Amino acid sequence: MSQHAPKEIGELSFGLMDPEEYRDMSATKVITADTYDDDGFPIDMGLMDPRLGVIDPGLECKTCGKHSGSCNGHFGHIELAAPVIHVGFAKLIRRLLRGTCRDCSRLCLNDEEREEFTSRLRRARELGNDLNDVTKAAIRQARKKDHCPFCGGQQYDINHEKPTTYYEVQQVLTSEYPDRIAEAMEPDPDDEDDRGVSPVELADETGIDQGRIQEILSGEFRPREEDRKAIERALDVDLTEEDMNKLMPSDIRDWFEDIPDEDIQVLGINAERSRPEWMILTVLPVPPVTARPSITLDNGQRSEDDLTHKLVDIIRINQRFMENREAGAPQLIIEDLWELLQYHVTTFMDNEISGTPPARHRSGRPLKTLSQRLKGKEGRFRGSLSGKRVNFSARTVISPDPTLSLNEVGVPDRVATEMTQTMNVNERNLDEARRYVSNGPEAHPGANYVKRPDGRRLKVTEKNCEELAEKVQPEWEVSRHLVDGDIIIFNRQPSLHRMSIMAHEVVVMPYKTFRLNTTVCPPYNADFDGDEMNMHALQNEEARAEARVLMRVQEQMLSPRFGENIIGAIQDHISGTYLLTNQNPQFNETQALDLLRATRIDELPEPDGTDDAGNEYWTGRTVFSELLPDDLNLEFVSSAGDEVVIEDGQLLEGTIDEDAVGAFGGEIVDTIAKVYSKTRARIFVNEVASLAMRSIMHFGFSIGIDDESISPAAEEQIDEAIENAYARVQELIETYDRGELESLPGRTVDETLEMKIMQTLGKARDSAGDIAEEHFDDDNPAVVMAESGARGSMLNLTQMAGCVGQQAVRGERINRGYEDRTLSHYKPDDLSAEAHGFVEHSYRGGLNPREFFFHAMGGREGLVDTAVRTSKSGYLQRRLINALSELETQYDGTVRDTSDTIVQFEFGEDGTSPVKVSSDEDNDIDVERIADRVLDTEFESDEAKQQFLGQEHSPTNLSEHADDWWMAQSDD
Amino acid sequence: MVDVSEHELVPDHSVLAEEELEDVLQEYNIDRTDLPKIKRADPALPDEADVGDVIEIVRDSRTTDQAVVYRLVVE
Repeated sequence: MSQHAPKEIGELSFGLMDPEEYRDMSATKVITADTYDDDGFPIDMGLMDPRLGVIDPGLECKTCGKHSGSCNGHFGHIELAAPVIHVGFAKLIRRLLRGTCRDCSRLCLNDEEREEFTSRLRRARELGNDLNDVTKAAIRQARKKDHCPFCGGQQYDINHEKPTTYYEVQQVLTSEYPDRIAEAMEPDPDDEDDRGVSPVELADETGIDQGRIQEILSGEFRPREEDRKAIERALDVDLTEEDMNKLMPSDIRDWFEDIPDEDIQVLGINAERSRPEWMILTVLPVPPVTARPSITLDNGQRSEDDLTHKLVDIIRINQRFMENREAGAPQLIIEDLWELLQYHVTTFMDNEISGTPPARHRSGRPLKTLSQRLKGKEGRFRGSLSGKRVNFSARTVISPDPTLSLNEVGVPDRVATEMTQTMNVNERNLDEARRYVSNGPEAHPGANYVKRPDGRRLKVTEKNCEELAEKVQPEWEVSRHLVDGDIIIFNRQPSLHRMSIMAHEVVVMPYKTFRLNTTVCPPYNADFDGDEMNMHALQNEEARAEARVLMRVQEQMLSPRFGENIIGAIQDHISGTYLLTNQNPQFNETQALDLLRATRIDELPEPDGTDDAGNEYWTGRTVFSELLPDDLNLEFVSSAGDEVVIEDGQLLEGTIDEDAVGAFGGEIVDTIAKVYSKTRARIFVNEVASLAMRSIMHFGFSIGIDDESISPAAEEQIDEAIENAYARVQELIETYDRGELESLPGRTVDETLEMKIMQTLGKARDSAGDIAEEHFDDDNPAVVMAESGARGSMLNLTQMAGCVGQQAVRGERINRGYEDRTLSHYKPDDLSAEAHGFVEHSYRGGLNPREFFFHAMGGREGLVDTAVRTSKSGYLQRRLINALSELETQYDGTVRDTSDTIVQFEFGEDGTSPVKVSSDEDNDIDVERIADRVLDTEFESDEAKQQFLGQEHSPTNLSEHADDWWMAQSDD
Repeated sequence: MVDVSEHELVPDHSVLAEEELEDVLQEYNIDRTDLPKIKRADPALPDEADVGDVIEIVRDSRTTDQAVVYRLVVE
């Protein structure tokens, strides 16, 4: 590995290749279509010639002397018997044929036009516009000319028959010319005055001899060019037909050879690098064998690469072509062979050309030739260069573990023993390194490989580990297993934003799944219904440092999408804090300590009071306040609707729910992350999650079908409400039937009726919901979850307990099915609620079959919508990323693309990062500027100012294992 | 015809004087071709703007009160 010194690329140039260059770089000419002889040796000057490189291990390359693996291979060449067109340039060839003179090969533009297009070309280059637009316009201009401005030769249209045939379209005398002339000379039968044209008159008018006219009319004499035109003018007839004159590749090559250098310069082609005649191939390069290795099958047979197959075809036809030509075969046969050669060379480069049948393998599978290797998702660019398979990676199912910190990930021991980190052994870690090696590759904190300073890698085995451990010396490298505290990268696809890839600290655990803290589910969009995630072990110190500082989960808490925290309490955590703080319950000492047992708090504050029995108690809010920074002051409205007041780190009032600690902008988490630090916020989120789990376990929390049942009285009320709605709908229908319904502005009467019915039924469901809601207690688990924002909504509860309501497809009541009715259960044109998908029952009560069917219709639409949306948005995202990927914010604050063109003069117009800005809407005071102004007036010298300001000391915290130290530093 | 430059949603477009342009180019260390472009036919342009001129656009911004942007007039 290390003998490959990195090389610097000085320059890349793109252009056409000179056939001479092909010959120069060729290691050998290839003339035999066979690969190996009967003894299995490669045939000299065959397609597997040993000078083209080596693929069999142990052999030596005849050109460079290197062995397989280090020899990159060498090109050979085939001398083509006749020139053929390179398909990749078919369009450019057509353009040049159309733009240049057929006689003198000069570009058909006069000096003025040349000047114009040259300057337009220069301009397009400067502005970074598409040069093709200019060159296309130049060709269009040149095509307009009937005659060459230089030699005056007449120009003909060029027809291009895809993929590689070109015709010159000429106007020639039709074979039916006597008939056409005679017909034109006849008198017009519809016009009585017209007596036709006599041959004598025609001769007078055209100036052609009378006898000649007779000869022409009898078809004995073909009129010459000028005579034909004279007759055409005199009689107003067309005596020509189109003649397609095929241009052979050799003709085109001769044509292009004569184009002067300065003429193609106008078309944006650099003549020094690319002569147009090089687009017509006379020599075909043969790719080295390393690019088309043959494989030996199990039965000892060799199977050749698709490219080799194609080259065999080319050489065979080439050979036949030459033989036939030497034998003086008829032109027809030669042309057929030429076309066949063209076909093989074409499919060698691209086997997916429309209009050409693809070349197939014996089995009928289309061959994968050059352009198929490059194109598409699995092609060289997208499949092998932009995306590769990587080492040091693992993938398995994820599962939750609330005992982990959000920065951590549980790594199964069998993953940890497989993936390694390199230890550079020195005097100080020698003993440690030896301990790893002596544990062997199977015991957990062991090692898999050691590397000696001479570069030799030794595998650590169960047998040699003790022995090897003794030998380990400073300057050796030991590949040790992952251990607790190592940093790794963790990822869940689809990676839609930067928080989809974050760095975690390793905690090695038994069993087979990756374990995550549930609070990191939102950024990954992960759940545990079978999701799998990928892990990558970092392999150098620079990468590990970068991951720790920039990519660790706590550093990604604030989402750049909306500038607030994306990590926070979710689901049960929120129910837990709600239960703890909403009614502010009291706990005795044991209970309070139990709630806080998974946090760093091990001493309770002063009790809030004593109960009737004389026991001290602590309230839920006091317990929660223990987690808050001591000097936190905050006021906001919770999602439960009450005012939350936090003063000096004490929660005085209010419910802690989604708006306080939730992911996606929980007020307290957001404030701590921005005002204090990410580390403090991480500690807070971890502790809130732990406390919430303890508290939800303390109270107990479950939901069952009985939690949605309501009293018979309430049920009756709901039935009545729905009954009323039905009556109102009936009323509406009757008004409509009488033709008395007044239409709303901009709508037809039918639409108005539909709208009003929908409205009425919507109201019915809402009132059913209201009635149901009234009958639920505040401690009903579904209500707790909806109120706190943990999961579900009051609408869900309404549908479970009250009435499911109107089902809709495409935003309308259900109107499909049979003619004029939805189901055969109803009469035609029945407009009533139940005939159009109103579900009056609740989920708990159960739907009747018709309701169930309508409900399935509405549900299906939802499923289809999500499926369509994900695929659409995925494609949109890919295109957006491709369009924006090269934009970069520079140090001067501007956003530029790779060619330094400015896109934004200041990033986001204000040059600020959304995560560094206050998320409070009314807080748009420029505090910094005001403070600067005050300071500037207060202090005269910079030193005095600096002294006053002091230096902010913010301790870095790079690991879960350094928390004690960090707490001591920042004495919070 | 409606003069769009009078519309309240169309920000102020003005031709940048040559000296000021020098300063701008100096500030960002760029050629004028590196600026964003605006078509000569753009109805928001002032009448005197010609191809090759640089236009200063001062628009209201949601994040900063006023954002200044320069554009090169092209065909």
